[in-house]
Amino acid sequence: MLQYVNVEIDGAMIRAVKGTSVLDTAIEYGICIPHLCHVSYLSDIGACRLCIVEHVKNGRSNVTTSCTLKVEEGMVIMTNTDKIRRLRRNLAELLVAQAPNSRAIQDIAVRCGVKEVRYPFRNEDCVLCGRCVRVCTEVWKARAIGFVGRGKDRHVEYALGFRPDFCKQCGSCVELCPMTIPPCDGPMKPGEERLCGACESQLMIADETPGSCVWCKLGEGFACGRYA
Amino acid sequence: MSQNLDQILEGRRSQPNQLIEVLQDVQEEYGYIPQEAMRAAAEGLGVPLMEVYRVASFYKAFKLKPCGKNHLIMCMGTACHVRGARLLLEQAEGQCGVSPGEVSPDGLFSVEHVNCLGACALGPIVRENGSFHHHMTPGRLRKLIEVLRRQGTEEIQHVQAQ
Amino acid sequence: MSRLNSCRELEHLCKRLCEERQNITTTVMVCGGTGCRASGSGAVIAAIRNELSQQGLDGKVRLRPTGCHGFCEQGPIVVIEPGNIFYCHVAPDDAFEIVYQTVARGEVIERLLYTDPVSGKKAWTESEITFYSRQDRRLLSQNRKVDPCSIEDYIAAGGYSTLARVLDRVAPDEIVKEIQASGLRGRGGGGFLTGRKWAECREAPGDEKYVICNADEGDPGAYMDRCVLEGNPHQVLEGMMIGAWAVGARKGYIYVRNEYPLAVTNSRVAVEQMRELGLLGDNILGTSFSFDVDVARGGGAFVCGESTALMASLEGSVGEPRPKDVHTVVDGLYHKPTTLNNVETWANVPAIVQNGSAWFASKGTKGSKGTKILALTGRIKNTGLVEVALGTPIRTVVFDIGGGALNGNPIKAVQIGGPSGGCLPVSEFDLPVDFDVLHEIGSMVGSGGMVVMDEESCMVDVAKYFLDFLQDESCGKCVPCRLGIDRMLEIITDITEGRGTLKQLDLLEELAETVAETALCGLGKTAPNPVLSTLRYFRPEYEAHIKDKKCPAGVCKALITYSIDPEKCNGCGVCIRACVHGAITGEKKEAHVIDTALCQKCGICRSECKFDAIRVV
Repeated sequence: MLQYVNVEIDGAMIRAVKGTSVLDTAIEYGICIPHLCHVSYLSDIGACRLCIVEHVKNGRSNVTTSCTLKVEEGMVIMTNTDKIRRLRRNLAELLVAQAPNSRAIQDIAVRCGVKEVRYPFRNEDCVLCGRCVRVCTEVWKARAIGFVGRGKDRHVEYALGFRPDFCKQCGSCVELCPMTIPPCDGPMKPGEERLCGACESQLMIADETPGSCVWCKLGEGFACGRYA
Repeated sequence: MSQNLDQILEGRRSQPNQLIEVLQDVQEEYGYIPQEAMRAAAEGLGVPLMEVYRVASFYKAFKLKPCGKNHLIMCMGTACHVRGARLLLEQAEGQCGVSPGEVSPDGLFSVEHVNCLGACALGPIVRENGSFHHHMTPGRLRKLIEVLRRQGTEEIQHVQAQ
Repeated sequence: MSRLNSCRELEHLCKRLCEERQNITTTVMVCGGTGCRASGSGAVIAAIRNELSQQGLDGKVRLRPTGCHGFCEQGPIVVIEPGNIFYCHVAPDDAFEIVYQTVARGEVIERLLYTDPVSGKKAWTESEITFYSRQDRRLLSQNRKVDPCSIEDYIAAGGYSTLARVLDRVAPDEIVKEIQASGLRGRGGGGFLTGRKWAECREAPGDEKYVICNADEGDPGAYMDRCVLEGNPHQVLEGMMIGAWAVGARKGYIYVRNEYPLAVTNSRVAVEQMRELGLLGDNILGTSFSFDVDVARGGGAFVCGESTALMASLEGSVGEPRPKDVHTVVDGLYHKPTTLNNVETWANVPAIVQNGSAWFASKGTKGSKGTKILALTGRIKNTGLVEVALGTPIRTVVFDIGGGALNGNPIKAVQIGGPSGGCLPVSEFDLPVDFDVLHEIGSMVGSGGMVVMDEESCMVDVAKYFLDFLQDESCGKCVPCRLGIDRMLEIITDITEGRGTLKQLDLLEELAETVAETALCGLGKTAPNPVLSTLRYFRPEYEAHIKDKKCPAGVCKALITYSIDPEKCNGCGVCIRACVHGAITGEKKEAHVIDTALCQKCGICRSECKFDAIRVV
């Protein structure tokens, strides 16, 4: 038997299933909260910080990730305040400056309102979203890959650097990886990095109807929860 | 090696929360964490190898490669920093001919920086082979490294001569 | 010693130990803390022990190695009772005189006394030394009473009697109320109300609860916890046990950072001794309370000072913080309710329960009660551990206790609270050391590290130093910390190397605010503080680096030049020989010259020159 709680998201009263996260609830109801490391059938770790919302409690508002926040009776959440939009835009700007060579990352940047990138571009091929590690660990229970190292040195690797024989090359890790989707104009070679911002039509939709899910092509690219 | 590893794992088998203690003992015993030790720990404690590798690579105390014969530990705490520890670190790396985390080609030196040893009133601090050098200056550091290099070279020549 | 089976037996043991010690006429206390050991106090202890035996005094004189006395730069330190004679910079060769003259005949050895750097006068006792006399050493003064490796010392001084009384006739609820009434706030940096934390943990559902002592003191420049844990582990343990009784825990952990081997050893010895006496284990002192403690070592990760990361590390995993939407007092170690407190916080507990909350709250301010240990270091005359009542003005700590500027360079700023704290300029030194006041102006008391900086410290370089440190220590899980700190460091590096633009300053501020709001854990959230506080109070320095491409303090290598003042140089040639880059040339007795193309600004020449002839412009 499912239990329900009443929560308020962006002014809308919503009947949410007890035990689900604010992010899952919002997506279910068609409220678009951008996210990257969240995959509906994997655990939520709150690593990318894109899904931040304002949780209003006792007259104060707390910025927290909606994927790790479980719904509670009477909760008040705001997903699209000026503050949240500014913070999200800055985070997306950091991401696209780090790894512009992916359509998924470029789409996120557009969706979050990034119009200019004020940092020198780099051409990294991993954003450490952890989707690959979690699918290998939680779905296949293989643990063939994992996070290794710390801080700047953090990266994904096989244990001791060798692919173990119990990795059956199922391809799940590749399937979920946002970096495997090349930019629309083709892969960017070092020196060619830029914010493509080409999805003008998508940006217009996102600007005009902030917060609502429009089943955009953007989300399809990186397996947004709506498409799961 | 397997005998030593057995001893280290004794009393800790099948207890995943002992992983860090086991690795500490391995590090003390061998000066680094050999791959064999990681495999043994995985099997002995019931922890996936990926997790052992992850933990061994996360903590600074664990080295995945052996150190130089003289391993210089330089404190980069705030108090030492305002007394010029950064310059000492660069000097040590330059004089020993090492990049951070690597061993010098002659195997004599490796340099590591740690974030505060807790002897702040005596900084800048350099530790080497169990000795504590305090109030270090660029001049004294230069002499220390020269002495260690002379000692090390003599030992290598002595071994080679045999 | 045999197992204690009741509170009465503990009382008897205490009495017996005190009686045994009545024969001791003189006690020689030698500091065996890490600082003095680095200065060679181990050899001093051995030498004095030898001398006492040689001069036939070891029956009547007690040699007690103690923990840190706090005045580390004056070490090795020896204090002799009666008379409270304070000797500093003691060498093993002084042992004979100390025993022959002072111990046996009560005569003072003038040359071993402390000399006041300003007045030039000699001080016989601690109370005559301003460094000590202006402090309020409620906790630190306990160090001299015990040899950390002797549970007998602790019991003879009344140790564990508070615990015994609590177990015998004080209900857990009352303990929680007492701690709440005292106003004790976390001493590790968070400053959270301890009583409230204990109350929440006590109310959390579940039979299995834990208490943890956070001894992962990672703030560079802070070593208060090391001193307390090394020097008085039993007081910390007694505090933990009272806390465990209060919240309903039966197991505790002391998590000590890897870089403190002596603290690990001393706490392990303390735990063993307690187990032997039955002060740990089942039915302690014949009561219903069962409790045991393990001492765990960190692996070298500053982030493990964060509570969820510490717990992950105790569980044998990587120290990656978890989101704290549910507090750790409800869902902590192994997902059980856990009370995690700092070493100093635990050490305060026995005295509060013994003397009452009103006694504790009699010192401090409205919102910040009690005393706090600070690690006062940097460019001042007296560096070391300082304990003052909260509410004491920063000025008092830096100038009265710290003795003011070293080398006559005017003091410019003080960095309080480690990498999570902020820098305050001299103009703000009238502010009190108070949790709320400092938080409001963009700094924080933090763990208590206070680093004093003078005109030769570049504040942009200080911000860069902390960002470097935090980048090294970041776990790397979340975007704002991993990428945000990296980009802030990139911008500040540009500024220190002469490539900065004013636009970058605005970007730096915006990025700093974003990281502070969105990071997953305290490390990331407070990482921007050094940047934001130096921007707030020292913006002109940033602008000098950007607009004039100059480093006013003479630190940032790319913006300075080393040169030799021809008026001061007497051509001795020391610097030519010292320079490892061959950048200095000159004839004997003629002014030497530095070739700026070859000069790497390493500083060797400057430290070797005896005539102060080398300038940094």
